[in-house]
Amino acid sequence: MRVSASRVVVALAVAIVAVVAWQRWPASPPKWTPVEVAMLRSLWIESLPELPPDPSNAVADSTIAAKFGEQLFFDTRLSSNGGISCATCHQPERRFTDGLQKGQAIGTTDRHTPSIVGTAYSPWQYWDGRRDSQWSQALVPLEDPDEHGTDRAQVVNLIAQDETYRATYESLFGELPDPASSDRVMLNTAFANIGKSIAAFERMVMPTPSRFDEYVRAVVEQDAGSQQRLFDDDEVRGLKLFIGEANCTQCHNGPLFTNHEFHNTGVISFPGDVPDKARVAGVREVLRSEFNCLGIYSDDVEHRCAELRFTRTGSTLTGAVKTPSLRNLENTAPFMHKGQILTIAEVLQHYNEAPDAMIGHNEAKPLGFGIRELHQLEVFLGTLAAPVAGLSGADGILVEN
Amino acid sequence: MIVHRIACCCLFFCLCVVFSQQNALAHGGVVEEDDLCVIKVNYLRAHFKVYQPRATGHEQYCEDLPSASESIFVMEYQHDSLSQMPIDFRIIHDVTGKGRFARLEDVYKIADIDSATVFYQPPVIEPDVYAVNYEFIEEGDFIGIVSARDPETGKLYAAVFPFEVGFTGFGYWPIFAGLLVLIQIHYLYMSGRLKRWYGKSSTIVTGFAICLLLAPPVSFAGDVVVTYTTPDGDPQLNRMHSWILHIENESGTEVEGATVEVEGGMPEHDHGLPTKPRVTEELGGGDYKLEGMRFHMSGYWEIVVSVTTDDGTSIVIIPLRL
Repeated sequence: MRVSASRVVVALAVAIVAVVAWQRWPASPPKWTPVEVAMLRSLWIESLPELPPDPSNAVADSTIAAKFGEQLFFDTRLSSNGGISCATCHQPERRFTDGLQKGQAIGTTDRHTPSIVGTAYSPWQYWDGRRDSQWSQALVPLEDPDEHGTDRAQVVNLIAQDETYRATYESLFGELPDPASSDRVMLNTAFANIGKSIAAFERMVMPTPSRFDEYVRAVVEQDAGSQQRLFDDDEVRGLKLFIGEANCTQCHNGPLFTNHEFHNTGVISFPGDVPDKARVAGVREVLRSEFNCLGIYSDDVEHRCAELRFTRTGSTLTGAVKTPSLRNLENTAPFMHKGQILTIAEVLQHYNEAPDAMIGHNEAKPLGFGIRELHQLEVFLGTLAAPVAGLSGADGILVEN
Repeated sequence: MIVHRIACCCLFFCLCVVFSQQNALAHGGVVEEDDLCVIKVNYLRAHFKVYQPRATGHEQYCEDLPSASESIFVMEYQHDSLSQMPIDFRIIHDVTGKGRFARLEDVYKIADIDSATVFYQPPVIEPDVYAVNYEFIEEGDFIGIVSARDPETGKLYAAVFPFEVGFTGFGYWPIFAGLLVLIQIHYLYMSGRLKRWYGKSSTIVTGFAICLLLAPPVSFAGDVVVTYTTPDGDPQLNRMHSWILHIENESGTEVEGATVEVEGGMPEHDHGLPTKPRVTEELGGGDYKLEGMRFHMSGYWEIVVSVTTDDGTSIVIIPLRL
C-alpha cells in the first residue's frame, strides 16, 4: 500500500510539473503561412487605398468646405433648443460615438450612434444604409425631431444670419437663397450644400496606425524580435483565430475591418422594440431619397452611382445591418446596432453561440470556442486601438495637411 | 410477451390521442407543420413565432408562452399577398369561455371587444415581415386575432389563436413518453427484433449511399459556354467592377441577341451577391458587358448566368474563389 501511494504522489508531481512547464515554456515565434501573411497585409492600414472620390459632392475635397463643415459639426445653434450639435452624439473623444445604447439628443433615437471614423470609404451610411453619401446622411439628423429637431429653412436661415458662415457659403457655392423663399429646389440645394460641407469635414476623420499595424509591418519585414515585443502569445493566437477558425474576416475584412455590407447576425431585439428590419427597409428608403446619388441635388452629373444602380433589394436583407469597423473599439461600448450588447466579451459570446435570428436568417454559424479562445480574440481586438486623425487635440481644430 | 405488447400499444395509443388532440385543438389558426409553426389567415400563410427576449433570449415559441414578460410576435409571410395587405393584430383576454376551443365566431360574438383587449396594433402594411411587441403584465388565457384586408376585394381574412401566458409545459407527459420508449426498446431488444431491424436498415442505408456515389455528377452547364474577362483587373474584395461575358454555343458559334441575367452568391453562407449586377450592353461577337459586380467576402462564390435565346434558356454556373 505504501509503495503504491508514494508512486501516485510521484506521478501527480510529474504531471503537475509537466503541465506548468508546458504552459510556461517560451513559445517559439509564430510561423505565419504565406496565405496568412497575405491576409494580414489585407488588414494592414497601409493597404488602405486612396480615399475614393465622391462625385456627388463637388466640395468633398475642398479645405475651405472642410473647415466650414467642422464649424457646423460643433455648432449647437443647428438645433431647435440651441443645445444639440452633431458632436452631441458623435463625440470626438469617444471616437465619434456617445457611450449610450441609443443616441440621446432632443429625444432618443432609434439606434446606437455609429462612429463616423473612416465612413468616407463606405458606399452606405447608417446601420441600415438608408443614405448613400456622407452629405445626404448629414442632412437627416438636422430634421429629425428626436435629434436636432430643426428644419431646412431654419438651417439655411442660420447661415444667412451669421456673417462669417454666409461669406464662406457664398465663396463655395455662390449666392445663398432667401431662406423664406418658396422655391423648394433652391432651398433644398442650399440645404444639400450645407450637408456637403459637413461631409467634407467628416471625410478627413480617419483611423491611425495601431499596435496591430506595427505588428503586421514586423511580420511583413520578417522581424521576429519586433513581433515578440509587440504581441504577446494570447494576442498572436487571437489574431490567428480572427483570420482563421473564427471566420471574423468573412465580414470584418480589409484595412477598415469592414466590408461595408449588410448582414444578419441574429442579435436580440432591444427592450420595447420589435426586431429591427434594417437593410430591407433601408434600401427602399435610399432608393426613394430625393438626396440620393441619382437625384437632382447630387453633383454626379454623369449619374455613375454604381452602388445605387446595382444595389440588392428584397427579403434576404431582412434584419441585416452594416458591418461596423473593428478599429478603435476601445471607449465605444456598448455595441451592435441598438447597443444591445454591453461588452466585447459578450459580443464574442454571441458569435460563439450564433442563435437563430428573430427575423430573417442568421448568417453566422456557432463557433463553439472555449473561454480561452474567446479571451484570445478579445485581447487581439484590443490591439486595434489608436487615436483618430482629422482633429488635433480636444479643441477640435482641423489638422492642416 | 403478448401482455407486454398489448400494454405498450394501449399506452402508445392513449398518448397519440392526447397529443394529437392538443395539436388540433390548442392552436386555432396556428398549426405546426414540419417543425414549422404556421399561421393560416384564411388561405394566406405565414411562419409564426413568438419570442420572450427578456426572459428566455432567443427561445422560440409557437404559441403558449412561459411567463408574463415582453413578447414579440413575428409573422414571416409565405404568401406574397400579405406583404401588400393592411394587417392588424389584437390580443384579448379569453372572455369567450371556450378556452382552447375558441374560434372566430366566438370572438365575433363578444359585445365589447375593446374592453377585453389588452393590445391592439391598428392596420398597417408591412412589406417585409410583420412584428409586434407587447409586454404581458399578467399570466392567464388570451386570444390572438390577426386580420388582413384584401385591398382589391375589400374582403377581410382573420386567424384566431387561443394561448396561455404562464404556460407550465406538458406536465408529466414527457416522462410518460420517455417511459413508453424505454419499454418499447426493452421489448424489441428482448425479442431480438432490434438486431434484425438494425441489420436490415443498415443494408438499405449503405445501398442508398452507394447509389448516390455512383450517380453521375449533376451538370449545370447547358448548351452554351460562358467565359468572362475582367477589364478592370482581377476582382478585388469590396470593389465595384465590370465583367465582359463571352457566350458561345457548344459548337463554338458566338451567341448574339440573347437575354442574359446574372445572379450569384456564396452557397456555404446561404447568401447572394451584395449587388444586383445587370448586363447593360451587348458588345457584339458574343460579348456582353456585365456591370455592378462586387464581392464582399472572401471564399467560394458561384455566379449563375442565365442565357435566354429563341431556343430557350440555359443556365451556366461560374465557380470563383476569392
